[in-house]
Amino acid sequence: MRARIPVSVKTAWRTFSSPSRTFSLGFLTLGGFIAGVVFWGGFNTALEATNREAFCIGCHEMQANPYEELKQTIHFTNRSGVRATCPDCHVPHQWTDKIARKMQASKEVWGKIFGTIDTRDKFVAKRRELAEHEWARLKANNSLECRNCHSADSMDITKQGARAARIHEQYLFTGERTCIDCHKGIAHRLPDMHGVPPGWSEVSDTPQKPIGHWLADGRGEGR
Amino acid sequence: MLDRRDFIKAQAVAAAAAAGGLSLPAAAQSSLVAGEDATLKWSKAPCRFCGTGCGVMVATKDNRVVATHGDMQAEVNRGLNCVKGYFLSKILYGQDRLTQPLLRMRDGQYHKEGEFQPVSWDRAFDEMARQWKRVIKEKGPDAVGMFGSGQWTIWEGYAASKLMRGGFRTNNLDPNARHCMASAAVAFIRTFGMDEPMGCYDDFENADAFVLWGSNMAEMHPILWTRITDRRLAHNHVKVAVLSTFEHRSFELADIPMIFTPGTDLAILNYIANHIIQTGRVNREFVEKHCNFRLGQTDIGYGLRPESVLEVRAANAKDPTDSKPIDFDAFAKFVSTYTLDYTAELTGVPKERLEALAELYADPKVKVMSLWTMGFNQHVRGVWANHMAYNIHLLTGKISEPGNGPFSLTGQPSACGTAREVGTFAHRLPADMQVTNPTHRAHTEEAWKLPKDLLPAKIGYHAVQQDRMLKDGKLNAYWIMVNNNLQAAPNSGNETYPGYRNPDNFIVVSDAYPTVTASAADLILPAAMWVEKEGAYGNAERRTHFWHQLVTAPGEARSDLWQLMEFSKRFTTDEVWPAAVLDANPSYRGKTLFDVLYRNGTVDRFPVSEIDPDYANDESRAFGFYVQKGLFEEYADFGRGHGHDLAPFDRYHQVRGLRWPVVDGKETRWRYREGHDPFVKAGEQVRFYGNPDGKANVFAFPYEPPAEVPDREFDLWLVTGRVLEHWHSGSMTMRVPELYKAMPMALVFMHPDDAKARGLRRGSEVKVVSRRGEMITRVETRGRNKPPRGVVFVPWFDSARLINKCTLDATDPISKQTDFKKCAARIVAV
Amino acid sequence: MRPHHLAALAALPFLVPAVLSAQNANQGGPPLRLDSPFRPPLNFVEQNPAPPIPPDVTDDRRVARNYPEQPPVIPHNVRDYQITLNNNQCLTCHSRRFTEAVQAPMVSITHYVDREGQTLGAVSPRRYFCMQCHVPQTTAQPIVPNMFKDLDTLVSRPSDRGDRP
Repeated sequence: MRARIPVSVKTAWRTFSSPSRTFSLGFLTLGGFIAGVVFWGGFNTALEATNREAFCIGCHEMQANPYEELKQTIHFTNRSGVRATCPDCHVPHQWTDKIARKMQASKEVWGKIFGTIDTRDKFVAKRRELAEHEWARLKANNSLECRNCHSADSMDITKQGARAARIHEQYLFTGERTCIDCHKGIAHRLPDMHGVPPGWSEVSDTPQKPIGHWLADGRGEGR
Repeated sequence: MLDRRDFIKAQAVAAAAAAGGLSLPAAAQSSLVAGEDATLKWSKAPCRFCGTGCGVMVATKDNRVVATHGDMQAEVNRGLNCVKGYFLSKILYGQDRLTQPLLRMRDGQYHKEGEFQPVSWDRAFDEMARQWKRVIKEKGPDAVGMFGSGQWTIWEGYAASKLMRGGFRTNNLDPNARHCMASAAVAFIRTFGMDEPMGCYDDFENADAFVLWGSNMAEMHPILWTRITDRRLAHNHVKVAVLSTFEHRSFELADIPMIFTPGTDLAILNYIANHIIQTGRVNREFVEKHCNFRLGQTDIGYGLRPESVLEVRAANAKDPTDSKPIDFDAFAKFVSTYTLDYTAELTGVPKERLEALAELYADPKVKVMSLWTMGFNQHVRGVWANHMAYNIHLLTGKISEPGNGPFSLTGQPSACGTAREVGTFAHRLPADMQVTNPTHRAHTEEAWKLPKDLLPAKIGYHAVQQDRMLKDGKLNAYWIMVNNNLQAAPNSGNETYPGYRNPDNFIVVSDAYPTVTASAADLILPAAMWVEKEGAYGNAERRTHFWHQLVTAPGEARSDLWQLMEFSKRFTTDEVWPAAVLDANPSYRGKTLFDVLYRNGTVDRFPVSEIDPDYANDESRAFGFYVQKGLFEEYADFGRGHGHDLAPFDRYHQVRGLRWPVVDGKETRWRYREGHDPFVKAGEQVRFYGNPDGKANVFAFPYEPPAEVPDREFDLWLVTGRVLEHWHSGSMTMRVPELYKAMPMALVFMHPDDAKARGLRRGSEVKVVSRRGEMITRVETRGRNKPPRGVVFVPWFDSARLINKCTLDATDPISKQTDFKKCAARIVAV
Repeated sequence: MRPHHLAALAALPFLVPAVLSAQNANQGGPPLRLDSPFRPPLNFVEQNPAPPIPPDVTDDRRVARNYPEQPPVIPHNVRDYQITLNNNQCLTCHSRRFTEAVQAPMVSITHYVDREGQTLGAVSPRRYFCMQCHVPQTTAQPIVPNMFKDLDTLVSRPSDRGDRP
């Protein structure tokens, strides 16, 4: 491995790692600071740019699948016209969580390059896996992105359906369950839900055989 | 004292009681358990709506229908109904049932521009007969016509056919089934020499794959959809492919969903044939033994008026049915241009899906059932599409055996039983015979005991042509029965309505309800419906199903059968038959059409004493003989002994229908296959005996574009169709409150981005505008139908929003069936 | 005031026109002029403005059935409910095992019977697509009233006011 590193790279590294002989300490400190500001600003700008919906649906995969499905749902079309954009639900608002999510996203870049879900059928075949990632993330953070808009404290349960109010009282306000436990598939179509019991279920569900997708044939579980 | 809630409750009870027209009980004292007075009389009947032909049980009490449910013993549905079927009890009881004949009058006389006034049946028939006689005298028999239906009972269609062809001597008789499955019927005869499917619904429990070609079975054939769902969900290896120009409810079960560019299904079919050939999966033995190959005529026009530029420009518009024999190699070469790349490009369907679909057909281990309705049939190349579906089943030999077969579904309860089998088309006689064939006419004259050379040989006006001829003043006396054609016909503002209101014409509409068609008529005749008469329907799987009269029709409403036969009494042979025929057959002189058509010794041979004493039969009591039995037995003789065999009349009242041919008391489930079909001899294996050589025809046809495609001015495809809750024009289902409330108006379903691009949103009031007309409705962007960008869908059930003012009257040039699925429109804000 | 007295009073405005039209129909003489039998006023040539799309009834109150075999209508919101090959959202409340948690009515026992008449351990696949039979209702008011009478209406008769022995 070592032997294969080209000479030019070695030379560059040597230069980079040696102490400066020509620039003053002041220049280097100030220059470093300015460079840092520029870099940081650029980084944040880039980060913010990648948090806009337009960026998300810049990829055909996102535009034709999750975004297209979102348009039918109440998170897109509703009474007041307040709508959720992709990052509202899928990008954490806390900086550290956001960076963590962005690092995860590097896998998605990989997927984009290799066309993991570049057709509808591939996307559908992979939907359970993708959905499980999001369910797990929202479960782990107590449905943080839901709660950014839907605060349990601000809910007026007299304005809710009787059944919804009762279930919220029983499960949500007690902290026994979190939003995503019950509200899966509210903004996109659901994957094969075999073995995923509804949030209000007390029964532990025995996993069943999935119905299967024709593209997943021969791959066993076909999630 | 009462509180407010009690008051409201009391008021509601009173209102309900008043609406029901009953006096109030002093207190609600009826027992909560069934007593003597709560016993019901249950009888069987087929459902009134679609061609599935579900069996229902109907409960009656005090001459009223009080409940209905799915018949556990009916093979088709085994206890299930769809939402429409479950509400059948209420279709009889819309408050505005027609109970008296209504004639347009002014100053006590008939007047074309008069107001509707109630008249007696005598007065109604007097005026009608006067108009008929005037028209026949002035213009001859081809100026009278009738537009019937696949909702006629078998004997009603048969009586109508006799009256029009044998009585008035014209073939100007067509059913609204022309709008529905003419393409399927024509292609069956061209391919197999015999109409109707070879397989049956039992295929559902035997197939490994289902392919829906332009059929939204989840909404239009819900009970058959339950059988597919059952098969799919209980068997992991089963696959469902759904093809359409927009996403709809059937896609919920789709393993292989496909949205294709309108009209390009033809290319997909040829691609599959090519795929089968290229991958070496042709069933050579089957093809050699059982198939002929033919090259069809191309560039055949679009069935528009002959002066239309599209007709003038088409090379073969005058001769669309022509074809010439070719061999397998020539066929293979013909379809070889439909490569995967070309087809994916043309249709917009991803390649992997096309391949997955083609493999369902090509894989010899997969038993595949193809299903289609209006997506194929309402298609300017509908006959071709039907042929191409047969092609892929014939190339692989996947036909006429359990689980394998092409299956054309029907939309009306007796599209097969009445429109096709009885032959109420402008070109047909009973049992697949043709009016142009002298032998067939002679045979019919003999069976009907009519003079030789009486029956007309000229093919009558088909549905769309009837409208054009009414408008042009060439068809002047016109009777419309059990259908709502002013709502159903294409381009109705320009081609249908003007004919009805043409001052030269007298238009009669027989219906149970005041439909939009009735509103444009000159005389409205109140009709008995469904279980108010003894009836018989034939469903899509060749099942003939009878029912008894269970209740009495309201007021003076009479069945179509009574109307046809009673009207025939007003004509003598001397008035309507040529002198030459009467001179040669003087014994027919001076007789009424009733005498020669229905009192002919055959139709009137069964006495009323043979009627089941448990049931009423108003027509038979009126005419003095068992009318339905006589008509059925005369008709059934046409088909017995050569593959259309029907069982004896009485048997059908005992069973939940039987699939013809019924030979030695046994029904036939798979035709043309040895061991299943008694007409295939031992050792023959398969014989398509409808054709003299026993072979089926494989036709080579190309893809040709639709008549009208979106352009800059009219930038959207307009697709029309039905919804689950309403059947056809909604004249029955819109009067059932639960169904009305579930789907109260026809909306335009469109893609949210298409709405956004026009500054519209869900709920916006819009005009749907085409080159023909316009209609006002609201936008739906998130309903059950999800069109892709560039396509909009509008259902046609809503009499207050008539989308057929916009549709194009282009038809398949071979079948004359309208393409209601493809024209160009634009959507603008109101 | 006893409820039935009030009911009779409340019924008056409904009964009067009914009586009037019945009288008219019984008269002999010249036929009546009918303004229009067509409801909604049907006129092929005119364009009707489109009323707003009515909202669904979501009050969660059960509606009495016309007869026991009638599938009940859906009294709650079903927007975005997914019933597909992947999932049936209705059954996440209405199937037997979830009814206790959500207090939803359990699907009828008939739904456990397959095509062969065998009772299964779960909902039969043939019953999978709920909305083929059960439909939500909008607030739209039918233009044509329906005169269907259920059995109870047909068999109920005035009480003799006497106590049963």
